Amino acid sequence: MDVTNGRSVDWERIERLPEFRELVARRRRFVLPATAFFLIWYFGFIILAGYAEDFMGTSIYEGFTVGYGLALTQFVVVAVLGLSYLRYAERELDPLRVRIDEAAAGFEPTQAEAPADPHAVHGGRFDRPPPETATAPAAPPADREAER
Amino acid sequence: MTPIAADLNELALGIFALIVAITLGITYWASKRTRSATEFWAAGRGITGVQNGFAIAGDYMSAASFLGIAGLIFLFGFDGVLYAVGFLVAFLTVLFLLAERMRNAGKYTIADVLSFRLNQRPARAAAALGTLAVAAFYLIAQMVGAGVLIQALVGIDFWLAVVVTGVFMLCYVVFGGMIATTWVQIIKAGLLLVGAFVLAILVLNRVGWNPLDLFGKAADASDDGKKYLEPGLFLPKPIDTVSLGLALVLGTAGLPHILMRFFTVPDAKAARSSVVWAMFLIGAFYLMVTALGLGARIVLGSGGEEAAGKGGNLAAPLLAQALGGGEGTVGGDLLLAFIAAVAFATILAVVAGLVISASGAVAHDVWSNIIRHDRDSEHEEILVARLAALGVGAVSIVIAIVGGSGLNVSFMVGLAFAVAASANFPALLLALTWRRFNTTGAVVGVTLGVVSSIALVIMSPGVWPGPDSEGSPFPLANPGIVSIPLGFLGCWLGTMLSHERRAERTFHELYVRSETGIGAERAVTH
Repeated sequence: MDVTNGRSVDWERIERLPEFRELVARRRRFVLPATAFFLIWYFGFIILAGYAEDFMGTSIYEGFTVGYGLALTQFVVVAVLGLSYLRYAERELDPLRVRIDEAAAGFEPTQAEAPADPHAVHGGRFDRPPPETATAPAAPPADREAER
Repeated sequence: MTPIAADLNELALGIFALIVAITLGITYWASKRTRSATEFWAAGRGITGVQNGFAIAGDYMSAASFLGIAGLIFLFGFDGVLYAVGFLVAFLTVLFLLAERMRNAGKYTIADVLSFRLNQRPARAAAALGTLAVAAFYLIAQMVGAGVLIQALVGIDFWLAVVVTGVFMLCYVVFGGMIATTWVQIIKAGLLLVGAFVLAILVLNRVGWNPLDLFGKAADASDDGKKYLEPGLFLPKPIDTVSLGLALVLGTAGLPHILMRFFTVPDAKAARSSVVWAMFLIGAFYLMVTALGLGARIVLGSGGEEAAGKGGNLAAPLLAQALGGGEGTVGGDLLLAFIAAVAFATILAVVAGLVISASGAVAHDVWSNIIRHDRDSEHEEILVARLAALGVGAVSIVIAIVGGSGLNVSFMVGLAFAVAASANFPALLLALTWRRFNTTGAVVGVTLGVVSSIALVIMSPGVWPGPDSEGSPFPLANPGIVSIPLGFLGCWLGTMLSHERRAERTFHELYVRSETGIGAERAVTH
């Protein structure tokens, strides 16, 4: 179970890396408030639609009602949060993942190099690359793109 | 019942045939590239982020979205928009909580993620139950919808329409696997967006290019007047609105055929960007569908309600006919034939995605892992996958024909979303984030989620003791507000009442993998 791509990985040691803690903290810093915000905004809308029919039916401009206006803001929230998460992840999260990958590749192997998973020996089934490629320093994301 | 397209059978069939020919060509091409299990279920993990965004949109925007929401807005105004908003906002749940983690930790099915740190066999059995329940309800709903729609549009018998849909769906999946399914979904998403765009432009043309005029004019054309622009015409009970809203926003994050799409991209980064692509495509689509629903109200008026049928499903095709110049005109015939063909492609792409996710649950989870203890060859696993797809498809065709056009489509879709939100979503989220979570928790939570959703829907008004009857034991049409907390409660209770060292130990591995992508399944290199 602890063997990945033919090399053993000390998961708990990665978990203790400062970079890993920073990654989790940074992801939370975005995801928790963003999730709280969109859920509140969405359920606010749903609850108003359920319980405040007259308010939702108030016309803002020639039949364009508060309800439709609030519905439109939901589309805006989805677009803005989606795009800002992409930007945030690329700038703040992905570089940390590369550093963690590199640090993990530098760990002393805790078990024999040979893959312990019988399926990996037969090849194919777990579609894992041979150990040589895996023990090499982790490829930066750009290289992985090129791999395809 | 006379089909609305009686005079244009040939034109409609010609466009149908063209779409079918293109998709079968793709299936042939894909079948040459489908040899390993990774290729069959995950398209070799070689789909790019943009492609997967289109495919997710194609997998998600069902006939219920296109014809159903346009019809609801046509008939009931604002309440139809609630569905569109819920279906869209749900993708933020997917993006923030699951997309990247699924890609990093999973392989072919959602059970892979659960069984990672839990006891393989019970965890897989639970996940397979959740997957199959969702896929079965959703699949039957789509098949019945396809039958009713094609019968109404082209005039062939209901059973024949179901069989035709089923046969094409099975061709794509059995021969072309996920590669063919993906491309069918991409093409369908493109067709559907083009179709909705053309109609939306024609609608705007009718109201003098000012979208804000849609609202007032639609209310003028409605017998409900100002009420048409307010909530409450379709969902009169406020608590029903809230319960539905909850099931929609959490249900998407538990739909196996959507989550499975994240295994088809090379890495978590592509999974992330594909969700945002899908959001923009689906968001643009729902904006256009809203315009179509209001436009149908303006163009067809109250007189169109009977022709649009129960649930207003034929409002969009009728609108196309009217905007093209009306019945019997070349423009009207052409536009109606095109929209009918788009609706057919829409259904095909969704049912193909559902069948492949169900085949994963049967072949990868139940057969390979539970029955054969991972000792089967890859060749056997793919053979069983194809047989499983055939079996699932055949059963759904039979149920759709036996249940007939009387089976309530929106009730089945509602049930699918309720099960997904109450059974699959809690178990997945807790497996990925809660250290203490264990096998008993997953089994109890999924079982309670599935059983409570189904039981509450059976006891709900509209089903118990018969359609539109009074005195049902459970007052809500959608069970989400009760069954989702029950699903979480089951996960929590099962976990607290048992102890499992291994689940806590392997949490470290799943946690690190899902956050970093270290050790994630790689793309197949050719």
